[in-house]
Amino acid sequence: MRARILNRDDVVKIVDLLRRQGYEVIAPFRGRAQDTCFDTVTDQNREQIELHLANPYYPPKRFVFPPIEHLLKVHRQNGDVQIEPTYQEAKRAIFGIRSCDVAGIYHLDRFYLGRDHRDIYYEKRRANLFLVNFVCTDPDRDISDDCFCVCADTGPAAHDHFDLQLMDLGDEFMAVAGTAAGEALFGDAIFRKGSEADVAKRRAILNDVRKRFKQTTSWFSATVRYISQGKVLEKTWEEVGNRCLECGGCTYVCPACTCFTVSDRQVGPNEIERVRVWDSCALDGFTRMAGGFNPRRAVHDRRNRRFFRKLAHYFIQRELSMACVGCGRCVQVCHGDIGMPSVVEMIRRATTELEKNESVSH
Amino acid sequence: MNPSATENVYLPKTAVLDRIVCEIPEVKTFYWHFEDRAEQQAFQHFRPGQFAEVSLFGVGEFPTSLPPSPTEPETFFTVRQVGSCTSALHHLKPGEKFAVRGPYGNGFPMEQYYGKNLVFVAGGIGLIPLRSCIVYAIKHRSKYQQIQIFHGAKTPKELMYVPNLQEWSESPGIECYLTVDRAQDGWSGNVGVVGSLFKKPGVQVPVDNTVAFVCGPPIMFRFVIKDLMAMGFEEQNIVSTLERYMKCGVGKCGHCCIGMAYVCVDGPVFTYQQIKRLGEDI
Repeated sequence: MRARILNRDDVVKIVDLLRRQGYEVIAPFRGRAQDTCFDTVTDQNREQIELHLANPYYPPKRFVFPPIEHLLKVHRQNGDVQIEPTYQEAKRAIFGIRSCDVAGIYHLDRFYLGRDHRDIYYEKRRANLFLVNFVCTDPDRDISDDCFCVCADTGPAAHDHFDLQLMDLGDEFMAVAGTAAGEALFGDAIFRKGSEADVAKRRAILNDVRKRFKQTTSWFSATVRYISQGKVLEKTWEEVGNRCLECGGCTYVCPACTCFTVSDRQVGPNEIERVRVWDSCALDGFTRMAGGFNPRRAVHDRRNRRFFRKLAHYFIQRELSMACVGCGRCVQVCHGDIGMPSVVEMIRRATTELEKNESVSH
Repeated sequence: MNPSATENVYLPKTAVLDRIVCEIPEVKTFYWHFEDRAEQQAFQHFRPGQFAEVSLFGVGEFPTSLPPSPTEPETFFTVRQVGSCTSALHHLKPGEKFAVRGPYGNGFPMEQYYGKNLVFVAGGIGLIPLRSCIVYAIKHRSKYQQIQIFHGAKTPKELMYVPNLQEWSESPGIECYLTVDRAQDGWSGNVGVVGSLFKKPGVQVPVDNTVAFVCGPPIMFRFVIKDLMAMGFEEQNIVSTLERYMKCGVGKCGHCCIGMAYVCVDGPVFTYQQIKRLGEDI
């Protein structure tokens, strides 16, 4: 196992190592009240990095797929036109990214870099991204009431797709390398070899923490089957739709949502900038065409869309994962209580009921 | 070329507007070419039914069908003025520059239809995407059996591509039938919806070994489908091309995703059988 042990006090030194390698390091901080956020580490705030705290409201997705991203610049001069792409290739490391969000980034990888066309903007940011995953081990500080990674099979410890994984073993920390770049850090003196006892301790902690999640009954499998087979009743979608306030919040906090719209803006007398901006399938204008025709008129058509896209077997096969990582953010943000676990439950219940009655009547 | 280098799929290439032809009220045809000759040559290999993204600097981008056939020397778009981008295109003057990227989408599998009868049913500007297939089929006339074109418009003034219609109706082995909803200006032809042409004396629509291309406004689409099914057409032998709000054209922005398909990459051409499964309004 490519694992090492390090002292508690040395954990933050990993941030220093990465900064010395030229990375802009993003880490979790506590805000003024209970809120938490990801922010850039500076000499001034380095001491305030917190490892055990509730996962920030906004996922770190924005460091690979920003809410507003510059795509290109157009210069016009004397009737001539020059189009120049604008790329962002700074080296970035996310220190303390939770396992659910690692799964989110992996999902984005499959989506933006898969199929016929690769997204070069995503690719360039992703190629320069270093992920230091942090395993959630403290039931009080790390895990919120709405976390359900155990149901989505993404946590509490990510299996893969990180460069380095850190886990609190109590007195000391365990570091696991996921890539060669992660392993290269082990050359530093803060890391020492671990023992069998450390591995056993890790296993014991994980076994225990899995049982400490409050939300453990978001059973996807039946819902995935019902959605894929088109068995969900129109009535159920309508119930979901009736509870949607069309704010789009769920899509903006989702680590696995990928949709965007594109917009041009004048930035100088002869200069135009094209940007892409996050978009949301919850919003009325998402599918409305010029001229006013909208193929998805009803709210429930749009909600149906969100959950179908996230859970249908066809897409799971294509992206090798559901477009839900179990972070629970949509639960926190939704005023109508139709976050993912609620919808999974609504669909499962209504459809199971129907199937039961069907089998009786046949 | 470096195999690891990813192409920027969002980067449009500069195009020059050559000339504008008014088709019908609010609809114009824009002849254009890429500034870069190599770009133009690469683009010419599009398939009938594919589409392109057109950039109007400072306004935005919109997807539009490619009405020319790849067998024709000139590239052009036929566009109805409906939103901000299409209006900006309508206000462009010959010689001015804009940008294009594409071609995108699956297109009609014209080679798969070799040896079959082709029936084109176009309502209004639905003839724009079908024009490409029609010109392509006429160019490869010997590969196909019967070719029939049915085109309907609200008024005689709104019939699309009139010089082409004229030419097609005079071509040997092409049957071209026209109809209008409201006759004016000494119109002596048929009056009624497109479907009314199917039952006219002298019209014999082949059903066996036939592909029907249907394109037009949603209401026309529904009625024509009903007529064709009543004649005995099978769902998989009726093809159409869908229109959706799109931003990227390459399956990333998410706007055109319906059912299990991204219209931009899995379509825009679908059989009626597939369209039904997608489960959304046309």
